[in-house]
Amino acid sequence: MSFAEFLNNYMYYIGAFGLIFIGLFILLTKKNLVKVIIGLSIMDTGIYLFLIAIGYVHEGTAPIFSKPGLNAEGMVDPVPQALVLTAIVIGVAILALALTLAVKLYKHYGTLNLRKIKEQKW
Amino acid sequence: MVNPVLLIVVPLGLAFLVPLFGLISKKTGKYFPILALLFNLLLTIKIFPQVLSEPIHVNIGGFTPPFCINLVAGPLGILLAFLIALVGLLVAIYALSYIKEKNEEKYHILYLLLLTGATGVVLTGDVFNLFVFFEILCISSYALVGYFGDKAGVESAIKYLIQGALGSGFILIGIGLLYGQFGTLNMADIASNIHSVEPISIFVPLVLMITGFGVEAAIFPLNAWLPDAHSSAPSSISAILSGIAIEVGLYAVVRIVFTVFGASSIMMFLLFLGVLTLLTGELSAFNQENIKRMLAYSSIGQIGLIVFALSIANMNGITGGLFQLISHTLGKALLFLAVGYMIVHTGSMNISSFEGMGKKMPYTSFFFTIGALSLVGLPPFIGFPSKFMIVKAAIFKQEILYTVLIILVLTATVVEAAYFFKVIQAIYFKGEAKKEKRNRAPFKVLIPLFIFAGLILIVGIYPKLITNILESSAAELISRTDYIKSLIP
Amino acid sequence: MNLEILLAIAFGGSFITYISGRISKKLRNIFAILISVGLIGFIGSLFGNTTEETICPGFWNFPLNLRINMLSWFFAITIAIIGALAIIFSLQYIKEKERTDFYYLMILLVNSSMIGIVLSGDLILFYIFWEIMSWSTFLLISYSRGPAISAGMKYIVMSIAGSVAMLVGILSLYTHYGTFIIADLSNQLSLNTPGFVLFIFILFFIAFGIKNAVWPFHTWLPPAHSEAPSPFSAILSGILVRMGMYGFLVIFFVIAGIDLFINLGSRLVHFNTILAWIGAINIIIPTFIAMLQNDSKRLLAWHGVGQGGYMVLGIAIGSSLGIAGGTFHIINHTSYIALLFLVVGAIEYCTKGIRDLNSLGGLIKKMPVTFIGALVGACGLIGIPLTNGFVSKWLIYKTLITDGYPFLAFAALLGTWGTILSLFKFIHNIFLGQLPEKYKNIKKPPFSMQLPIIILSLIIVTFGIIPGIPLKVINQIMISSGIDSLNITLWGVNSETGTINMLNIFTALLITGVLIWLIFKGSKKAKQIDQYDNYTAGTYVPKDKYHYSVEFYGPLNRMLRPYLKDFIDTFYLKLAKSVKNLGNGIRQIYAGDIGYYVTYIVFFLALLIFIQLKWTLW
Repeated sequence: MSFAEFLNNYMYYIGAFGLIFIGLFILLTKKNLVKVIIGLSIMDTGIYLFLIAIGYVHEGTAPIFSKPGLNAEGMVDPVPQALVLTAIVIGVAILALALTLAVKLYKHYGTLNLRKIKEQKW
Repeated sequence: MVNPVLLIVVPLGLAFLVPLFGLISKKTGKYFPILALLFNLLLTIKIFPQVLSEPIHVNIGGFTPPFCINLVAGPLGILLAFLIALVGLLVAIYALSYIKEKNEEKYHILYLLLLTGATGVVLTGDVFNLFVFFEILCISSYALVGYFGDKAGVESAIKYLIQGALGSGFILIGIGLLYGQFGTLNMADIASNIHSVEPISIFVPLVLMITGFGVEAAIFPLNAWLPDAHSSAPSSISAILSGIAIEVGLYAVVRIVFTVFGASSIMMFLLFLGVLTLLTGELSAFNQENIKRMLAYSSIGQIGLIVFALSIANMNGITGGLFQLISHTLGKALLFLAVGYMIVHTGSMNISSFEGMGKKMPYTSFFFTIGALSLVGLPPFIGFPSKFMIVKAAIFKQEILYTVLIILVLTATVVEAAYFFKVIQAIYFKGEAKKEKRNRAPFKVLIPLFIFAGLILIVGIYPKLITNILESSAAELISRTDYIKSLIP
Repeated sequence: MNLEILLAIAFGGSFITYISGRISKKLRNIFAILISVGLIGFIGSLFGNTTEETICPGFWNFPLNLRINMLSWFFAITIAIIGALAIIFSLQYIKEKERTDFYYLMILLVNSSMIGIVLSGDLILFYIFWEIMSWSTFLLISYSRGPAISAGMKYIVMSIAGSVAMLVGILSLYTHYGTFIIADLSNQLSLNTPGFVLFIFILFFIAFGIKNAVWPFHTWLPPAHSEAPSPFSAILSGILVRMGMYGFLVIFFVIAGIDLFINLGSRLVHFNTILAWIGAINIIIPTFIAMLQNDSKRLLAWHGVGQGGYMVLGIAIGSSLGIAGGTFHIINHTSYIALLFLVVGAIEYCTKGIRDLNSLGGLIKKMPVTFIGALVGACGLIGIPLTNGFVSKWLIYKTLITDGYPFLAFAALLGTWGTILSLFKFIHNIFLGQLPEKYKNIKKPPFSMQLPIIILSLIIVTFGIIPGIPLKVINQIMISSGIDSLNITLWGVNSETGTINMLNIFTALLITGVLIWLIFKGSKKAKQIDQYDNYTAGTYVPKDKYHYSVEFYGPLNRMLRPYLKDFIDTFYLKLAKSVKNLGNGIRQIYAGDIGYYVTYIVFFLALLIFIQLKWTLW
């Protein structure tokens, strides 16, 4: 298929994987701890987008039986949305814990440069 | 018939009751884990005879599979749940006197949540449920590693967190890919349809999930968090992490590879990976001065050995691997608990500060020696039948590759013996022979050590006590068609 | 049933001794002696039994067998006797030291596990008891602190390396034949390819060779035996090391069978010829290294290594004379090396810890019983007629000469020459010569120390004059393993190419001795003068030492020392150091930088996907 069709069909996947790779890139290369945590969050966002994109049905509506006569084939898949809600909660918990630890780490070390926080080694 | 759901619900409920009772009195928090885990222990013992013949299925919410979240309490699941309850109970008794900080109820809440997560992982039959309980386990352990709030603990916790979160991200991508391919999240359902698609599209989820669960399971390149985390955590948490958390991560890997994917072709890769993990773990432990770091590297080595045994993928190998798992849990928990009080009394984690410990804390040193001898694999302790079983499984294959690998494994055993014996000598025989004051560990601490040592000795002398259970668990892992059929007739 | 009771008494007794030590020291001493002597009685009553029984619990799904036949009985009675003598000796020796309960527990545990090894009828029990023996020995060697720490470490690492080789060998046998029971495995190996037989032989050679301190694996023995407490050195050197010989006998003659053992090899070189040459090297080099030693226990330890060579040589030849000689040499060596270690222990006890040969001297006046013990032991070690060493060495020399191995015979004789030199240094430096000032007031060793020395000397002389008693037992062992038997009389061995008859030798020496004594009595008495009543050209007689003992064989030492450096030891130390460096290098993977760690994870994932895309392995 042509490039435009490809983009049209797989837009969400490209965006999701783009976010995931940006998040991975930040995790791999950045030195500041807060930036790394933000990168973790970006990567998580990308994963959520990926999950929802899997459940997408072309031109479907929200999966709620709001009026009688709706059939299930015209709706997007609700299961990934449940997965994403759970995953968002888990992600928030990890983020909160990470930021708390970052605050405590700053109190101990005085710096957030990950290249300098290397006491536990070998 | 008792519902295995109680195994998860009771610790979870009690975990949330702790702060409620904390409003009344701060001191009652430490008895809740003991109550919850005692209940779990008795329940698993009661369910055991039933699951040996046929696994129990519990459908949550009353829906039918494959649309519901179900629990599958098979022999392997209940065996691991029993082990989790036993080790958790004994470490909770240890923590009665070990944890004396100001906010000690937070420790107990997190502790109960960790064990809930672990029990949930081994009992579940649904891939996303596995992920959720796995995350409960991981997040509790991130927080508990940094519990003391000191420099080393917080640094290790943040490093553990970043790597663990990365791993969880990979698992989630894998789950997404699986769902996109098969449309269902039920393990048995995926397992029955796994061969109807082309190999490349199940390879990527497989690899993603191995990497993701492998971070927690401490397989070779992914285990860089382990030495820091296990050495900086409080000793009771080190015992739980080394004894339960990594084993549960390994269970998740095994469940994915064996049951869901049925990927027999990747076993050869896991074989080499296991030997590589074993060698790096044992060699890195060889020269350590910090005792807890040495024990952490030893855990890496033992996990490599278990992965090696499980990848042999026949009845002998998996039985040997499961036996080694039990032996490692009991032995490592005993070692970490004994070392914990030695560190409290000496104030430093260096091996050279343990000289003369044999006189100051005679019982603790004696239990440490039993744990060390068991881990090396000397009779009459439990390490011997398990190592024997693994070597037997490897040689039984009668291929030259396995013989070479088992020789590497046994070389690693010699290295392991060298550093453990060095520590035993330092405890008993180094330094001058002057009279040291006795400074024993409190009696409440000696009880869990005694029970661990007793179990190590009893099962070592009479391994027939548990071989029955191990063989049924191994059979459950190998015959994935039985697993599928029992769920989807 | 008897065998289980025996093992239960042995193991249970060690724990009862430890617990009773907490109550009272006297009670513990009584228990220790009671159990060790009781074991001698029990085992003695089992003489002649050939039973095999299965213990009920069973390990996993394999039946476990206990077995006693003449070979096991032979070793078991030796273990029990040496154990009892060492424990009697240690009653006084250990009294002042620390942790005596632990000492008694460990020494009884070592004894029990050795009895368990020889009584086990299948290879799993053999391995279990072998390992228990190894770690209890390690704990007991490290018991005397200081340099014993590194000695114990060397011992246990090499021992475990040997044990893992044995484990692989046992499981390979199980894979091919489906059973662990030794009796069922007998003579089965001949049905397999020579390559597999060679593989099994090499594995078990490594395992038992490390324990027996055969030449490439001997480096743990000198430090371990010299640093252990002396009664335990007696057990170690005497019988624990010879557990390796028991293992050789089991694997080469019971499991493989004598025909397979002799015929294994190509036309150019046979397995047992190589083994014989290793035995020969094992005789020569350690015996001369012993001569260079200045520490009395280390000298004896090197002799322990050297005499092992005689046993390996005798067994490797494979003729009935050789096997009889090698096996007889096992208990002979036990008796005299235990005796010599106990002598050194007595001297250590009386002089408060001196082992250095260069500072002792003239103790014959103070400790006559000990001197006679040392003299008998040294004669036995050298192989002077009328001692049991002579009979076993004669058997070995005879088989080497008649079966046509002139170089090996020369090597054996060279070993005897070295033994004579080093033992004379030992006796001269300790007992003969002038008594130094600081030892003028030492007391005789107590009776509980003298008793084992007397008993062992009697054993040496008795078995020397009447070698028929042990040789009859050995004959039965050889018959039951399918080797041709010898013609044994009460006084010696008859064979076509020459007889040894100790009665004739004894009578001849007795008559000669009586004649010399009569001549000595009939002549005039010599005049006794004091040592310092001497002509020194006008100056005072200095009370320094006239006793020249330092650099005893000076010129010979200087000549031989460059050739006798222990390069095997250097090799092992380098190996250990390189493993340590490798460990240090691998540690640095975990460098502490979180960026590296995340890179490892992502790299692992990328590697797997890349391999799949390129080569589609999975």
